[in-house]
Amino acid sequence: MARRVLIIDDEDDIREVAALSLETVAGWEVFMANSGTQGLARAIEHRPDAILLDVMMPGMDGPTTFRELRKNPITAGIPVLLLTAKVQSSDQRRFADLGVEAVLFKPFDPLTLPTQIAGVLGWS
Amino acid sequence: MAPESQPAASSAPEFSHALDLLWDRFKPEIAQRVALLESAASAAAAHALTQAQQQTAHSAAHKLAGVLGTFGLAQGTALAREIENLCAQDAPSGFTGADRLLSLASQLRTVVESRAASGTHPK
Repeated sequence: MARRVLIIDDEDDIREVAALSLETVAGWEVFMANSGTQGLARAIEHRPDAILLDVMMPGMDGPTTFRELRKNPITAGIPVLLLTAKVQSSDQRRFADLGVEAVLFKPFDPLTLPTQIAGVLGWS
Repeated sequence: MAPESQPAASSAPEFSHALDLLWDRFKPEIAQRVALLESAASAAAAHALTQAQQQTAHSAAHKLAGVLGTFGLAQGTALAREIENLCAQDAPSGFTGADRLLSLASQLRTVVESRAASGTHPK
């Protein structure tokens, strides 16, 4: 059975490349949301196996979205991987301290992104 | 190899073609972000960079840094990151590095224009 992943990112280009990667390279089912608010709704609706969550978004940013996901019993157990273009180590530590499964970096290689995610989540 | 024994839905050439189609779709938006950086660079050179313009340029550079490498443009990501760092300076009134910003924006334009939809992915 194919894995089901929700991508939450306000940037259309990043979201579409990530979806292309997960769908065509790994054969996973992908759901998309372009904001934290929409992401919370999609997570409740689809209950994906994992969530790929952008950090910097207008309105509800990634860390806030993550905390909201953890507050809701329906979504609290879904593994979340943060996606960020921030390269400073202080930012990276701050994100890792949130309690997410992993912090992945933009730009990512679309050919290896599914392997990265699978590795982090033990989907071997 | 696809994780979890899922059959890869496409071969490498098919994936590359699909990525090229996405590039075609998003290139106007990407070029628009580069144009924002060029405008900011010109304003900085004329000592007319506003704070709003600087913030817009910082945001555009951040987005470009994140996306260009996913389309195989690693050099584009490096250039955009340098612009992002330049635009993170405190105030436009004391902005230094206008010449560098002009040069970087121009190089970025060249890199973006160099990526053909045919699947040429310059590094």
